[in-house]
Amino acid sequence: MKRLKINKFRVISAVTLCVFVLVWYLVTAVFGLFPKTMLPSPDSVFFSFIKKLTSTVPDGGTLFEHIFASLVVALTGYVIGVGVGLPVGISMAWFRPVDHFVRPVFDFLRTIPGIAWIPIFTVWLGIGLSAKAAIIFVGVFVGTVVNVYSGIKQTNEVHIWVAQIFGASKIEILKRVAIPSALPYIFTGLRVSLGMAWLGLIAAELLAAQKGLGYMIQVARNFGRSDLVIVGMITIGIMGALLTLALEFVERRVVKGI
Amino acid sequence: MSDRKEKTFWAVVSLSLLTIVWFFASQMESMKTLLPNPVDVFKFLVAGAISPIGQHNIWGHILWSLSRVFVGYTLAAVCGIVIGSAMAWTKVGEAIIKPFYLLLRPIPSIAWIPLAILWFGIDEKSKYFIIFIGTLLIIMTNVYDGVRSVDKNLLGAARMLGAKENQLFFKVVLPSAVPQIFSGLQVGLGAAWATMVAAEMIRSSEGAGWIIIMGQNSVNMVQIYAGIILIGVVGLFLVTAMRFLEAKLCAWNIRGK
Repeated sequence: MKRLKINKFRVISAVTLCVFVLVWYLVTAVFGLFPKTMLPSPDSVFFSFIKKLTSTVPDGGTLFEHIFASLVVALTGYVIGVGVGLPVGISMAWFRPVDHFVRPVFDFLRTIPGIAWIPIFTVWLGIGLSAKAAIIFVGVFVGTVVNVYSGIKQTNEVHIWVAQIFGASKIEILKRVAIPSALPYIFTGLRVSLGMAWLGLIAAELLAAQKGLGYMIQVARNFGRSDLVIVGMITIGIMGALLTLALEFVERRVVKGI
Repeated sequence: MSDRKEKTFWAVVSLSLLTIVWFFASQMESMKTLLPNPVDVFKFLVAGAISPIGQHNIWGHILWSLSRVFVGYTLAAVCGIVIGSAMAWTKVGEAIIKPFYLLLRPIPSIAWIPLAILWFGIDEKSKYFIIFIGTLLIIMTNVYDGVRSVDKNLLGAARMLGAKENQLFFKVVLPSAVPQIFSGLQVGLGAAWATMVAAEMIRSSEGAGWIIIMGQNSVNMVQIYAGIILIGVVGLFLVTAMRFLEAKLCAWNIRGK
């Protein structure tokens, strides 16, 4: 009985998606209500996708080259951002003087979106890998620090007391009690910042780049190739989802017993 | 109260220290082209508050940016709450909406900019759309989680006392989801502001993002820094205002403290 019910809603989902694609096809390919530069038909998006796997028109790169370029930039900025954000967040939460000094500056900096730094980083670092990685770094750094900070702050005080009674030093308590208990928060931070890295990357590539998925949709827009814009957007979405899935896989391996 | 005083004290100390470091760094020969003098940036901001930069003075630019955020954000908040609760509360709604939600969620709001320009041109509508789509998914996620995490005992009690389904929703589910919805509205507002900056940097002739991008085009580092500080201050103000509103409207909620 219960299984039947689930199937019924699965069917509704499938039907809605089919109806959506059918309506999309009807208004574009059959009735031609929208010009091609605004809304391409679903089949032309599909064929552009297949073609883009090997073709370098009009932006000088195949889909895989763009994906690879984007991944390199995003992961560089992400790894550095996490690498710096973790120790900063932990020391802000654990050592009061650091908290006093760094917190106000951090609270101000976090309200500035990573995108706003683009002009400064392009002056400092040019438009190569390092400038784009720096933009991503800012977003990832903020996301990591916020979550790590609140994770460490939420450590159960009773656990800290117990550790103190058994004679653990402050560093030992941090290593053995606070960080392990903050792991779920830390992973939330890693996941949130991965999303931010991907967003910052697209922004950076829209404004200054010669390769990458963001660059690809920007060029496609200039040529009025809405089919390629949609191919690019779908690829961006799929890559973002895949990265999140990979991180969740690692999380399940590392965070046990919670 | 003394805790608050202490916090303010340290905030003043650390922010002034930052400004002093910035000042001395900007005096170094090698940093001259990269880092303008903070005094110049401050002067630029004061001058911009009175005389126009481009077509408007600073207040005009901020108002333009805020009006864009306001339109896109309000639409997203209303639609997000309605669609999000429909997705969470009715099974049919979930079956219909969730596939689209799952498809659209991983696409960052900024990736919509090229398509928005193709659809709506380069005027205001495309900016409203980008802010709308970015904020909508954030608010929907929070509304969905909030409605879903309603205490089952409350639902059972209300059902036992004879509440109808729509009463159940408006009297029990929605009020208990308010804290989550509010945190969605708050995160959404920050995201809307950031998206607006991106949209203005890519195409606009006024607004806070325009100040930065014009600074870049005319190689005016002072203007770039002034624009960034402006964006930070307005963003901070928006978030604080939202927290204040939450504390007033949801006083019963611990999160509001």
